[in-house]
Amino acid sequence: MTRSSDDFYSGAYARIVRFMLALGSSAAIAVLLRFGVAVAAGFVVGGAIAILNFHWLKRVVSALADRATVSGERQSSKGVVLRFLLRYFLIALGAYAIFKISPDSLYGLLAGLFLPVGGILIEAVYELYAALRRGV
Amino acid sequence: MRRTLSFIFMALAVMCFAVPVFAQGEAAGSVTNWVAITSGFAMAIASAVCGIGQSKATAAACEGLARNPAARPGIQLALILGLALIESLALYTLVIIFAKVK
Repeated sequence: MTRSSDDFYSGAYARIVRFMLALGSSAAIAVLLRFGVAVAAGFVVGGAIAILNFHWLKRVVSALADRATVSGERQSSKGVVLRFLLRYFLIALGAYAIFKISPDSLYGLLAGLFLPVGGILIEAVYELYAALRRGV
Repeated sequence: MRRTLSFIFMALAVMCFAVPVFAQGEAAGSVTNWVAITSGFAMAIASAVCGIGQSKATAAACEGLARNPAARPGIQLALILGLALIESLALYTLVIIFAKVK
């Protein structure tokens, strides 16, 4: 791999987060117009949980890589495991709270949780486009 | 002492079997909610398979990192994306369950 392609692929995480934000905000507006405030609020909460979840996943993986390669700043094992479990707890708490407040907006929350998938798909299409443009 | 204990446990077992005798009979016209039951099994299977997938991905990534620490950025990114996509598979099952059970 060349230096420029290294830089390109190392920026993938930041690009995915940006894609998720862009996709989430545009989809939230569409959901608001089509399904109303309750579902849109659920979607925004679901999207926020998904982005936080993705960020914590990245941190957990970084900590795991630090452990595997014995490099970088070492994080405590307890903190890593706690953060990993806290992600699921947060999703369950959000779903439960929304289910109690407004069951209709639960569909919005579940749709919002798929933001990372959308972000990753857009990134895949972007990387394919960039590879074709470079003539690979 | 052991003999007494075995009698006590046998008596307890007989009492446990006797309890369903006092159970209320099935109400006429009641139907089993198979959708709810199968949804529970579906979620359990999805979670288990996703767990196996995530553990295999993590194990392979750790092995790769330990063998070639220089490849860390690529392996780390692939692991993050893989874990996120595997997690989403369990979420798909959850969405289908919510759509069918409600």
